[in-house]
Amino acid sequence: MMKLENVGGILAVVVLVLIQGCAAPQPSPDLLAPTDAQMKIRSLQTRSFDIKDRQLAMRGVIAALQDLGFIIERANESLGLVTAARFAEPNFYDVVGVTVTVRSETDGRMMIRANAIYNNKPIEDPKVYQNFFATLERSLFVTKN
Amino acid sequence: MNLVSHQRMLAQFTRLPVGAGWLNRWLLVGFCLLLQGCPTPYELRHVNQWDSREQIWLSEESQVKIRTAQSRVFDTSDRRKMLATIVSTLQDLDFKVEVLDEGLGLVSGKKYVENEQIYGLDLSYLLYQPDTLLVLNRHDRTWGPFTHRSNLVRLTVTVRKRNEAQLVVRASAQFYLRAVEDPAPYQQFFRTLEQSVFLEGHSVE
Repeated sequence: MMKLENVGGILAVVVLVLIQGCAAPQPSPDLLAPTDAQMKIRSLQTRSFDIKDRQLAMRGVIAALQDLGFIIERANESLGLVTAARFAEPNFYDVVGVTVTVRSETDGRMMIRANAIYNNKPIEDPKVYQNFFATLERSLFVTKN
Repeated sequence: MNLVSHQRMLAQFTRLPVGAGWLNRWLLVGFCLLLQGCPTPYELRHVNQWDSREQIWLSEESQVKIRTAQSRVFDTSDRRKMLATIVSTLQDLDFKVEVLDEGLGLVSGKKYVENEQIYGLDLSYLLYQPDTLLVLNRHDRTWGPFTHRSNLVRLTVTVRKRNEAQLVVRASAQFYLRAVEDPAPYQQFFRTLEQSVFLEGHSVE
């Protein structure tokens, strides 16, 4: 049979752990720091398109997001920002949020960058972004012609 | 029962193993903690904020010190480009931009972080019913109009003119419903912002 002193010791440890858990969590110094994963996928999230008109590019982005079943939350033309969200398949409990920015490069091209977040985790799968840009290309083609 | 036998019984009672007394004491401590509501899982433990006015009094550090840590001067007068850079920095940091006002020079965003692992199975997750008013999932606490998340980070960045050639950027973050008063996260943020200002400056010229 276990000695009572041992039980006391175990309880002491448990209580210490509990006390530690009582304090409100402190923000970590890396709260606003970019992650390594983000640096790696940055190039996948960015693509340059041969369009001169910024508004046309914005329309294309909005149309592509609509094609993918997103609901547009906000769009700012002058700063080139579109955010959208949708519930994720199959059970529609989870939320996918997207932020897309459109920026003009020097040589009459537009740089489009998309960030997707699944619930609270950034999506790091390159396929997702490839899909998005494929849809965007199609949508830009349709909008242009 | 005479006095002697009573005393003997008492003596026997007090001569119980030493550990039992300790056990009782620890049990008492544990029970007090239970009453305080501490050993419940993290998600059940955090405070519901019923009155947002409480937040006004939450700051503990000197305002001047915080403001200095939150502000940074940039040697550019192009306000719009600075706003666009801030938006792309927020993208770098996995924030979702929620508010953007060019006239006011204001960008706000939010993101969720993993801040504490739950032990074992989270029962509240199984109770989650998306079509009811009461939402009990891992981080959301919703009861009618009241909702908040334990892992939410909110960030507001403002840009204003300092003089003809300079802009002041101020960032303020909130975590666990409190203002972030530690200068370290802000230093990280401005480091990222400076890098992307640098990159941008070179990509346009």
